[in-house]
Amino acid sequence: MVVLIILFVCLMNFFQKEIRGFFYWFSAPIQKVLWRAGDSTSDFFQGIVRVKTLKQELDELKLENQELLSQVVGLKNLKKENETLRQALGLGLQEDFKLVLVEIISKDISQDFILIDKGAKDGIAEDMPVITQQRVLIGKISEVYEGFSKVMLISHKESSFDAKIQKEEKDISGVVRGQGNFRILFDLIPREENLSQGDIVVTSVLGGIFPEGLLVGRIKQIKKNDVEPFQQAEIEAFFNISQIETLFIILGF
Amino acid sequence: MFKKILISIIVFYFLVLIQTSFLVHFTIFDAVPNIVLILVVVWNLLEKRKNHLGIVNALIGGFFLDIFSNRFIGFYVLILVGLAIFIKLIFKRYVRIPFINKI
Repeated sequence: MVVLIILFVCLMNFFQKEIRGFFYWFSAPIQKVLWRAGDSTSDFFQGIVRVKTLKQELDELKLENQELLSQVVGLKNLKKENETLRQALGLGLQEDFKLVLVEIISKDISQDFILIDKGAKDGIAEDMPVITQQRVLIGKISEVYEGFSKVMLISHKESSFDAKIQKEEKDISGVVRGQGNFRILFDLIPREENLSQGDIVVTSVLGGIFPEGLLVGRIKQIKKNDVEPFQQAEIEAFFNISQIETLFIILGF
Repeated sequence: MFKKILISIIVFYFLVLIQTSFLVHFTIFDAVPNIVLILVVVWNLLEKRKNHLGIVNALIGGFFLDIFSNRFIGFYVLILVGLAIFIKLIFKRYVRIPFINKI
């Protein structure tokens, strides 16, 4: 019996891509329905549970919205200035990303992986970045099947990439490391840099894995130690995978 | 027996789909309840020692968990079958739970 099980396991792993691909193809329609049902049901229950905190959250969001609006006005002026300067220098505008829209089908129960409904036949390849509509970085393609792909979330333990916090005087660079279970750490930040809670972490072009300027998260808690040469900070991710239905894959950047 | 195994295959297949696509929206302290594991443990606890459907169920449940996870195929099969064998051969031999009715 034991020998039979071991043989069975070895055989299965030899053809694992084909076997998994078949099951994903077979189950995708049911999983899509279940994902949408779960999404709307959890929204409904969350609304009931969080009704008390919603008022406070609304006030905070209104305040943040006003701050952001003032920033948008400033950025619009900068954009105009930038376009004028580019025209004067004869430079073309930076092309936007080439994107593909995908839907989430399922999430791995114990690891930070998700399954999406597009694969090799749609031009998707390994290591392509996955983002949301708001340019929030989700992860990268880790495994490609014919009609499906697996996405390793940035919170996965094996995920790490260069990132930065944009400050007026000087950018603060570091490395974003996944901690598992949707936790992310901003690591290897020189001790002398002044981080503050709420700072926004974006991707940096240094690593070459992701395009520059994708949103990663917000600094939640800073861990500074006099002995260590670097400081660390916990990041609150901008995405909540259970609230997302559609994502985008960047085909080229 | 064949009919029971067929029913188990269908039940565990749908349980895994529900777990990976529906229950992920309802996390408890950022964790998703593993209903396949719970069912395998409860089944083996309630089943008579001479019956072996609990171990077969562990094999089926583990296989479907492996298919929809990112680990190598056999990871959950080994864990669940090992757990089922442990409950059947060791736990039930030395621990008596009088209020559990045998099914």
